[in-house]
Amino acid sequence: MSNYITGPDVVKYACSCGLLKPITRLYFCRHCLELRCGFCVCHEVDSNYCGKCCENLPSAEARLKKNRCGDCYDCPSCKQNLSKRAATVGPKNPEDPKATPRKVYYLLCLNCRWSSRDVGIPDQAAATGSWPERENVHAARLQEIIEMYKGIVLAEKQQKMEKDKKKQRRFMTFTDRTGITASMLRKRIGLPDIPHPLLKPKPKEPEEAVAKEEVEEFPEELLTKPINLNEITTLEQRLNLPEWQPTTVDKLFPIHKQVSVKRSQRCRACEHNVSKPEYSPTSIKFKIQLFAFYHIPEVRIFTVEPLRAGKQCELLLKFSNPTQHQTVITFLPLFPSEDSFASKEIKELVPDEEVPSREIVIEEKQPPSLPGSQPSSLLHTSLSRTPSITVKPRPIKQAITANVELPTSNFVLLPRDDAAEFDDSGDTHNIQDDTKLVVWRKSNKAVIRLNITPLENLNIGDEVVVGFTMQHIYVNTITAVESKEPQRYNNNVKVFQYLGKIVGSE
Amino acid sequence: MSKGIKIVSGAIVCEECKLRGDVTIGGGTIIHPSASIIAEAGPIIIGENCLIEEQTKIINKAPVGQIDNENVQELIIGSNNVFEVDCAIEAIKIGDNNVFESKSFVGNKVTITNGCIIGAGCRLTEEQTLKENTIIYGENCNMREGLDRPLPQTLQMDTLIRMLPNYHHLKKPNLVNNKKN
Ligand SMILES: [Zn+2]
Ligand SMILES: [Zn+2]
Ligand SMILES: [Zn+2]
Ligand SMILES: [Zn+2]
Repeated sequence: MSNYITGPDVVKYACSCGLLKPITRLYFCRHCLELRCGFCVCHEVDSNYCGKCCENLPSAEARLKKNRCGDCYDCPSCKQNLSKRAATVGPKNPEDPKATPRKVYYLLCLNCRWSSRDVGIPDQAAATGSWPERENVHAARLQEIIEMYKGIVLAEKQQKMEKDKKKQRRFMTFTDRTGITASMLRKRIGLPDIPHPLLKPKPKEPEEAVAKEEVEEFPEELLTKPINLNEITTLEQRLNLPEWQPTTVDKLFPIHKQVSVKRSQRCRACEHNVSKPEYSPTSIKFKIQLFAFYHIPEVRIFTVEPLRAGKQCELLLKFSNPTQHQTVITFLPLFPSEDSFASKEIKELVPDEEVPSREIVIEEKQPPSLPGSQPSSLLHTSLSRTPSITVKPRPIKQAITANVELPTSNFVLLPRDDAAEFDDSGDTHNIQDDTKLVVWRKSNKAVIRLNITPLENLNIGDEVVVGFTMQHIYVNTITAVESKEPQRYNNNVKVFQYLGKIVGSE
Repeated sequence: MSKGIKIVSGAIVCEECKLRGDVTIGGGTIIHPSASIIAEAGPIIIGENCLIEEQTKIINKAPVGQIDNENVQELIIGSNNVFEVDCAIEAIKIGDNNVFESKSFVGNKVTITNGCIIGAGCRLTEEQTLKENTIIYGENCNMREGLDRPLPQTLQMDTLIRMLPNYHHLKKPNLVNNKKN
């Protein structure tokens, strides 16, 4: 796993949107049976929370506080969290012999050692007390402008409502027939007209900003005095405080910590969640986590022989099955037909001839959430939501620079067994493997051999990329409620391996 | 114990630390096991109440190709310095009240004055003299000036003075503190 964080991504899977990503960055929607990535799912904000104090903020409050935590601060110098530090100081009046030393609190950055004392913020007597807030000099003006825009938004909303009201009217009213409105009627019989409750006077426009032409004299000392960089803020520091943009370090003041969001990701085609975190900010668990890593067999490069243009060489790949169900892996060409936009029909046409010999009934790959089937159970109704968007896959832009000799036989991957790691009794599987294909196997893993040939026209130093379509049997457990038996599907995933660079001849 | 090593009484020097060459350790200084102090190019003199943690390497290393026996360079380290875990120090001279955070590195062309903090993982290699209360931090070795010297680790030192002798063999001090106070 660690390699996925630090190492280069040498094996990538094609997402249904056409992007290539390592398996750890992909989701697998169990309802559409498609890979989804961060670019092709809907991101929704579940909750706002402060990453330091782990306090949940309701979204209205978060907006009011400008998405910042009221209690936590970031260092204005280096953006790390500021910690509260306690210190004891002498009593207020040292003459009084009974006075005890007081405890005071200040803010300290443990990274760059910036402290609230550096800029002269007085120490606080209470640990949880609020620190002095700085008022923006332009606050009033900003407020005025915000008010104006709020007024405009309201007026526009109202206009739209009026329009909708006119459209929605389906029945003839008295007014339509006579052309007399209620307000006209009121006037005619001498009643005062009541103003519309939503109709407020037009928002007051604030005074226009005036461009000033007085520019300060160029300070000569900028050229003569040596600059002390320790006194001047960096560009980053200035932009962290957009309201003040201080130029010297003595004007750096603590920044309220920006709140983070917990977000859930939703498949755009079927509107089911592919990832949903638990609500509590202290929890790192998920309610729903359809990560591809838990559903799609993982492919790793085991070894590869030195790559030479036009010369066949051996590539060993390690497959592991993350699911609780046995699967069969078959190799198919990357693009089954001329049309690179291989649609599902083509996928379904792929013959399953080898597979029945293993006595596994394969159903046609078909999203289980087809509308039209009778809503028998609660689960089922939730599944039969009609897709909102049909996402058209984009072509995969990865150039393939080596040919793979696709094995004609397939191989079995046993289900994952967490206890197997502690089992020293040796391999007890009895699987008849094609020894030309399968080199090694243990519990849910197998290493297979592929012969690849980098293209003739490659030069030394060119990247070698191979790819194939991996067909695996996916056992869908969500439909088990309805049909008792979990359904099996042939799922096709395009996998690309980045094998390294062409080397010279021996 | 080899001859050149002088430990002033009051210092806590664990047996498992590595001291080579002419090393003088001041009173109240604590040296953890597996720290190494190597006086290669000249003597190393460490002041009082320094805290030298595990895996620290303090080396008096002459610049490459400048080892000559006539011009012996002393490495003098002042008092109340803290050397955190796995820092490597080859400085020319170190003043008082400095903190060398974990995995920091100070090269052999650097002079450290007083109250400086070398942040975790920061590397100082170029020839320079750090001004008082300079703080180096972050992966880009940003520099800023502190208001004051860092606070001494008195509480930590007191605990260590109590605890370390219970669990480690100590090197015996061989010099009496002549500053009677
Ligand atoms: Zn995608
Ligand atoms: Zn907070
Ligand atoms: Zn900071
Ligand atoms: Zn879906």
